[in-house]
Amino acid sequence: MMRHPFTHEAMATTFTIVIADQLRDYARQATSAAFRELDRLENELSLYVESSDIARANRMQWGETISIGDDALQCLLLAAEVSLITGRAFDAAYASDYGPDVPLDPVPFTLDPAAHTLTSRVPRLQLDLGAIGKGYALDQLERVLDEWSIASACLSAGGSSVLTTRAPLDGEGWRIGLGEEASYCTLDLTRWALSGSGLAVQGAHIADPRTGTIAGRANRTWALAPTAALSDALSTAFFVSSSAEIERVCLELPTVGAAWITNGASLETCGQLRTLVARGGRRET
Amino acid sequence: MSDVNSSPVSRRNFISTGAKLGAFLAAAPYVARGADGAAKADQLNVALIGCGEQGRILTNAALPIPGVRFKAVCDIWPYNLTRTERLLKKFGHEARPFEDYREMLSSVGDIDAVIIATPDFLHAEHTNAALRAGKHVYCEKLMSNTVEGARSMVVTARETKKLLQLGHQRRSNPRYQHARDRILNGDRLLGRVTNISGQWHRAVSDDYGYPANQAIVEAKLGKYGYANMHEFRNWRWFKRYAGGPMSDLGAHQIDMYNWMLGSNPSSCMASGGTDYYKTHEWFDNAIAIFEFPTKNGMVRASYQVLTTTSAGGGYHEYFMGDEGALKLSENPKYTKLYREARAPEWDQWVAKGIVASPLSGEGAPAAVKPWEKVGVKKLAGPSKSAGVDVRETAALSAWDIPVTLDKAIHQPHLENFVDAVRKGTPLSCPGESAFATAVTVLKINEAIAAQKTLRFKPEDFIA
Repeated sequence: MMRHPFTHEAMATTFTIVIADQLRDYARQATSAAFRELDRLENELSLYVESSDIARANRMQWGETISIGDDALQCLLLAAEVSLITGRAFDAAYASDYGPDVPLDPVPFTLDPAAHTLTSRVPRLQLDLGAIGKGYALDQLERVLDEWSIASACLSAGGSSVLTTRAPLDGEGWRIGLGEEASYCTLDLTRWALSGSGLAVQGAHIADPRTGTIAGRANRTWALAPTAALSDALSTAFFVSSSAEIERVCLELPTVGAAWITNGASLETCGQLRTLVARGGRRET
Repeated sequence: MSDVNSSPVSRRNFISTGAKLGAFLAAAPYVARGADGAAKADQLNVALIGCGEQGRILTNAALPIPGVRFKAVCDIWPYNLTRTERLLKKFGHEARPFEDYREMLSSVGDIDAVIIATPDFLHAEHTNAALRAGKHVYCEKLMSNTVEGARSMVVTARETKKLLQLGHQRRSNPRYQHARDRILNGDRLLGRVTNISGQWHRAVSDDYGYPANQAIVEAKLGKYGYANMHEFRNWRWFKRYAGGPMSDLGAHQIDMYNWMLGSNPSSCMASGGTDYYKTHEWFDNAIAIFEFPTKNGMVRASYQVLTTTSAGGGYHEYFMGDEGALKLSENPKYTKLYREARAPEWDQWVAKGIVASPLSGEGAPAAVKPWEKVGVKKLAGPSKSAGVDVRETAALSAWDIPVTLDKAIHQPHLENFVDAVRKGTPLSCPGESAFATAVTVLKINEAIAAQKTLRFKPEDFIA
């Protein structure tokens, strides 16, 4: 059966959903429902929507508590966990103003999951879910497709994060490329999310939250994880991390993987990506 | 499919797997545990009828209001019902699910108020039943798809002495309240208002579908008034269920015409048609013109709704006077104030916090890049060699409204309703004034059908 691609503009990028093994009309209706969910999520998570949870959070005073929705809560819980695990190589509150008296904190806020509240622990909290929100959105779109019994789909956010579900009937997975030039290879992925970070699209735009300086890495990094929110966040963290730091995260999180281009232009991998590239990846010359 | 290419971890259970992530959560330093879910003295028990998209928006907007507890939810579609139950559970609300609102009203005794977000043709039936069951009601707009239905809601609220708030939520929006009370009326920054224009432009959208395993059998749809699943999912496009885009979108904004002016129109002419969509009964392109006699003189008002393009400036209401103009929208990026050159300077209003110099968007200074020095750009004045330069007409100076809406756009209106129930605070949009808006809006469809100017009598707006 044909594969049906659909696109939608949101979160300052183009989201694409490709659906396999369904009639086109049904696939279109399902993706319309998914894209409506995407628009709703943008309103909840965008910095630029006045009444969004994140815009409201960024107007908080020190010690102030606000109610937040479940999507913002889930994103911030994961963001906080990734910040701790990566030693702030990923930090959604990177731009926060700590003032002269507050020590640096990997997570300068408190979340109450039962009450759905967020409390600022710095004079001026500045949250930005830009490096996790698109991945989180992909996870939620996949939930919508699952409700529609869409078994086989490949979802992407602007090309920087890809989420795959079951393989199409005529293939072993969704063919996703990583690496560059001589190191380029493809993987047939199912039920994995892969995110990439690099400088090719937006230039030198990734600052290391730990130093405040632009990351020294010049080549792309990739993160593989069961969810796109996690792969999205980790790919950003990996870009500002050393190879040793990336290896450590992969050891701590056995369900994730990483890949990066070395200065010698070869593709290094670790964790689940090492396994995948070794066994399932098709290197293309 | 090769196993190695497939994630070994279920996405659904990811946070609670043995993976390191999630294991942190129980003891994470950033997690607080404060909520106990216990009933509080000021608890207000609510039920929701209609768990579709608007019901979801209202649920999310009501959840942050202290003391509001959802006790029951009702929808004929299990798909919507389950989603809402799940959402409420995440917030610690154990809401009993119902298919039939009658059963819900009769079997859940401790409901104080009912939120209604069903299609327009059911508003009167659901509202009247809830009021007669002794509940206060917050009902989505438009009040009804018929004047008779809307009138019955006002009459029932009056008879039962229960509160009835309609979901014209702009009336509780602090930016709109500031615009009406300080800019348009109080300090009259616009001078004599002569004209209003308004619009809502939406891009082409597909008809709604439904998951194949979630279809409702036709016998059940018929029991609840629907012809089939397609019409159930796309009720807004059909005349037996709704009032069309003038009701779906225009009602919010035309309500602002009446509310801001404090007046009802005396006439309506309109044109519209189903020019684009093959599957819609209701118009996809409609334009209305009203005459509003006010104490300050006649105001002529136009409104257009398109569901075929998002071009042309989105959605806003534009109030134009001889000293200034006010472009209002729920979206702050479409909101702006303009001062006419003949008007007195607005410095005093800036000092008093009535208006603000623009910080961003139209009229704002050009953004300064990190590598640029902050400085004042010199405006190009007349050249030294000429007494008068001939140029284009100068652009009007653009200003902002210094009010931020710090919550979801429906929350202040629900808070007003909750305050009215608890403390007797006046409702922002009680049934009587929402009825006037319903009469105004429904007249547009009548005028399009009649193809002539229709006149209102003052008594038309009284239920």
